[in-house]
Amino acid sequence: MLEALWQRLDNVARASLPFMSTLLFTFLSVVAWPLPYIGTVMPPLALIAIYYWAIHRPDLFGPGMAFIIGLLFDVINFLPPGLSALLFVGVHQFVFWQRRFFSGHSFLMLWSGFALTVISFIIIEWIFLGIIRWQITPFFPVFMQAILVIFLFPLPCWMLIRLQRSALSSN
Amino acid sequence: MAVRSRSSGWIDTAALSWRLLTQRYSFLLFIGLSLGLLVIGRVQPVFMEGVRTHVIDGLAPLLDAIARPMTAAQNAATTVKSYFVLRQDNEALRSDNAQMKQWQEAMIVMQRENKELRSLLHFKVEPGLAYISARVIADTGGPFVRGLIITAGRTDGVREGMAAMTGEGLVGRVVEVGDWSSRVLLISDLNSRIPVTISDTGDRAVLAGDNSAEPKLFYLAQGTVLNAGARVVTSGHGGVFPAGLPLGVVRDTGHGTYAIVPAADLGRINYIRLVDFNLKGGNFNPIANKLQAEILKR
Repeated sequence: MLEALWQRLDNVARASLPFMSTLLFTFLSVVAWPLPYIGTVMPPLALIAIYYWAIHRPDLFGPGMAFIIGLLFDVINFLPPGLSALLFVGVHQFVFWQRRFFSGHSFLMLWSGFALTVISFIIIEWIFLGIIRWQITPFFPVFMQAILVIFLFPLPCWMLIRLQRSALSSN
Repeated sequence: MAVRSRSSGWIDTAALSWRLLTQRYSFLLFIGLSLGLLVIGRVQPVFMEGVRTHVIDGLAPLLDAIARPMTAAQNAATTVKSYFVLRQDNEALRSDNAQMKQWQEAMIVMQRENKELRSLLHFKVEPGLAYISARVIADTGGPFVRGLIITAGRTDGVREGMAAMTGEGLVGRVVEVGDWSSRVLLISDLNSRIPVTISDTGDRAVLAGDNSAEPKLFYLAQGTVLNAGARVVTSGHGGVFPAGLPLGVVRDTGHGTYAIVPAADLGRINYIRLVDFNLKGGNFNPIANKLQAEILKR
């Protein structure tokens, strides 16, 4: 009986890993990092996690989770509530539909898929925010942010691969 | 009997296809929810702000826990670096000290003179200012919003509109206050507008953030030429900040446009000092207040 309970708890903990790791990435991208001006171009690391889990474990990371993460992202970053939620759900769905294409071949394919996703994401985000606030935000820092997150991609991705192999492979 | 089984079969199929449908299209629900929130945020911004302040209050301890090791690492790095530049620092301090001594002499003379003049004018000394120190736990918004979340809120006496300063100068002001945490809008944010004076020429301008590291100077009188390196201070107009708070120095960006290099390093703020100048927008002109009081008396 007790063993069964532990087993269940273990399963629940493992199943929540995709969400928890995305949550951690969300917080890491707003923490005051000890690097000058990183705050201006700090990339939305959560996007990497959403992209990764939408491809590899969409059963454990659905659109509802992308919505919650997006809402939290909006609240912490003082963006209009619902904006990132909308975009994260959109990204999740787009990647989910195209997941065979993105994951099928090699890491390079995964990486280029991410680059494509991020670039579309920031352009749409920039346009939406411009419409909502009726004010044009300088594009250059936004562009730098996209470049940074694309180059940073392999490291968080490697961490997620390790996490998936060690904790989720038996499921 | 046959009819019943057929109907339950039909129900089963309908239920199954409904489940498949909701699974497949549940993202539409969340997209609808997001759009709804965006609309509510537009229609009821105050309500949304309240919700956000509460959520951030709840998250503050967590953000603080994640930020602590970062601050510790930075402090350690600064300590190590300071050992390497000990010699240069020492020399710089020596020459600074010599200069300071000269200033001190001058200051003592001025202080005495000031005291005498004040006593001649029956000048009333203003009460001391209240300071609140706080630690920065989040550097938020990326390229869209420039702001900080700090570990001091209503329970510490923080109020909206307080000036946020570092040792070098003004960096922003408090725009949202929760119970335990607050949000500071930096002078580099797109929505930050501060009336300023160029201290050497007395020219007036408005310092407007554009989310870059160097806020721009707008509304200078036509044809004004500023000296690069001139100090820029708050002018006190608008009543949010008192006059004379240092902001930075002028930088010529070409074609008659100017920006400022902030005195404080906006990209690297760990601690902040909040100052309450007891000013309220629209209630800033002491002479106007006096006149108003006199009119009311009559």
